[in-house]
Amino acid sequence: MIAQALAAQRKGWRFTPITALTNPDFKPAGLPERIEPLAGRVLCPVGFHRAALVNGRWEARHAMLKLPAGVSVEPLSAASGVGEYLDRPTPSDLPLAKAASAARDGIVVRVSRHVRVDRPIHLVHVSGASSLAASSQTRVLVMLEPGASAELVEETLSFGNAPSWKNVRAQVVLGEGSFLRHHRIVREGLQGRLTLALEVALASRARYESHALNFGGLFAREDLRVRIEGEGAECVLNGLALLGGCEFADHHTVVEHIAVGGTTRQLYKAVIDDKARFVFDGLISVKPGAQKTDAQVYNRNLLLSEEARVNTNPEFKILADDVSCKHGGAVGQLSLEALFYLRSRGIGADEARRLLVYAFGSEMVDRIALEPLKLALADALHGRMPEEHL
Amino acid sequence: MLKITNLHAKVGQRVILKGLNLEVNAGEVHAIMGPNGSGKSTLSYILAGRPGYTVTEGKAEYQGKDLLTMDPEIRAREGIFLAFQYPVEIPGVSNKYFLKAAYNSLRKHRDEPEMDAGAFLKFIKEKAKSVEMDPAFLSRSVNEGFSGGEKKRNEVLQLAVLEPKLALLDETDSGLDIDALKVVAAGVNRMRDGKRAFIVVTHYQRLLDYIVPDFVHVLSGGRIIKSGGKELALELEKKGYGWIEEKVAA
Repeated sequence: MIAQALAAQRKGWRFTPITALTNPDFKPAGLPERIEPLAGRVLCPVGFHRAALVNGRWEARHAMLKLPAGVSVEPLSAASGVGEYLDRPTPSDLPLAKAASAARDGIVVRVSRHVRVDRPIHLVHVSGASSLAASSQTRVLVMLEPGASAELVEETLSFGNAPSWKNVRAQVVLGEGSFLRHHRIVREGLQGRLTLALEVALASRARYESHALNFGGLFAREDLRVRIEGEGAECVLNGLALLGGCEFADHHTVVEHIAVGGTTRQLYKAVIDDKARFVFDGLISVKPGAQKTDAQVYNRNLLLSEEARVNTNPEFKILADDVSCKHGGAVGQLSLEALFYLRSRGIGADEARRLLVYAFGSEMVDRIALEPLKLALADALHGRMPEEHL
Repeated sequence: MLKITNLHAKVGQRVILKGLNLEVNAGEVHAIMGPNGSGKSTLSYILAGRPGYTVTEGKAEYQGKDLLTMDPEIRAREGIFLAFQYPVEIPGVSNKYFLKAAYNSLRKHRDEPEMDAGAFLKFIKEKAKSVEMDPAFLSRSVNEGFSGGEKKRNEVLQLAVLEPKLALLDETDSGLDIDALKVVAAGVNRMRDGKRAFIVVTHYQRLLDYIVPDFVHVLSGGRIIKSGGKELALELEKKGYGWIEEKVAA
């Protein structure tokens, strides 16, 4: 059924190998066979507020929440007063979001007016070990009232080697002058699949800073829809995908500037090795009347092997006349000049290669302000440097 | 130290070196001068091991070993250093990290323990001072956004840090104003210790006022067509290259 729904959406899915979602035949995940500790598996330190979903269900045994007044992190099943948001229709071109809308469980994060969350909130999405190909449906709702601010880290991972597929519909609602830093780290195993539809709405002067990091997984597709609804709102979208083996990552982003004076800064980078593939489709749509919009969308890719592939399409649709918009896409290989320069100083060929790849990727890690996460990601980046090729 | 015999080389189908002979002993400073397109930069690149050049005939021995079969990093670890005419920008790699990686790879090659980050920082700050480089450049990406003069100064800093046995300076004077030239030359002269050898490739006599060579060679048409002492450089400055080329042709 899902295959048919996706096949009908040819436009946004033509570079996406949807067979990864239809083969094997996924069955809804049941309760996990056991609850495994997250220590050593997640990047975030224990000092963060933590909540976890295992197979799409709230898992109280993983929760570490000592929240200050005005902040709540709770299972969807227990959250009241959010029906208005949960019942919002999904965009018609995102059939998977529709499937996730039926999810029974998920996480709701709410921050009250002018409250600044003291520590980052860490949400972990886990697929439990299983002998079957299992899929889960999840919803995430994050609401910041006017003037509130929070840092959120979502990590996605799997236990065991069975095929798993997490399908997530997430909504972020940012009130006037609020600020959210939103990190999404995909560290799936060789059989992990993730599809995420994320809708973000910004009221006036709200700021949304997003870091989408693909550090492992067979298949990841993220549809990010941002609506700049209020005057002077700011949106920063950073992305880094490190892909090897037969991994696939796909980022479709649409930023709609509806209000005056909005800002978007988007840069996604990908390092693609072996037979991996990366797709970037980034549209910034400036609606009539969204004057003084200042938007940039860039995608830069580094191909490390003959068989690595990338499809990139940074794009603008501009229906206002007083705007500043820039976009660009680049696909390149390691600079032979730079390689020789490093080697001529005694640095071995393999080390030189790793140094250059690291340098390409580290720019995105350096943009993360959350220090413990930045350090953990720098280590993870080291861990995913290419093996000796030359 | 270095003995080049009858070296022929080409880039793609273009033959550039046509039987070059040169012998450099420890402690000597050799200047190689010549008109544009004579093969000066090619010679530097071949000695440093840059891919893309094919040696079709002849040989180059360095400390009694066949230089031409060594990988570029091995040459560097064995003590060869090329100061680039156009130093490469490497965004995202800090200068100090780069210098440390290079320095430690040389030490490792000599079975010496690697220097830790703290000691190394102190060490390169001293070296930066000696080439009058603002230590802020150590934290910047390698050569990224450096002016021409800053890039050359960075080459001399690397020279000072890596302390090679044989240094090749490829048109190190190009793009330098006189003050920068003096700093760069002083940095090189401080490295002259009676053992270290230099090959200074230059188009102009000017650099040789500051780095005084023991020998001057004229490279033309892919061969060394005349060799002499430092006075040859002055003669070239006055008369140009034409008179030697005519003499050889005759």
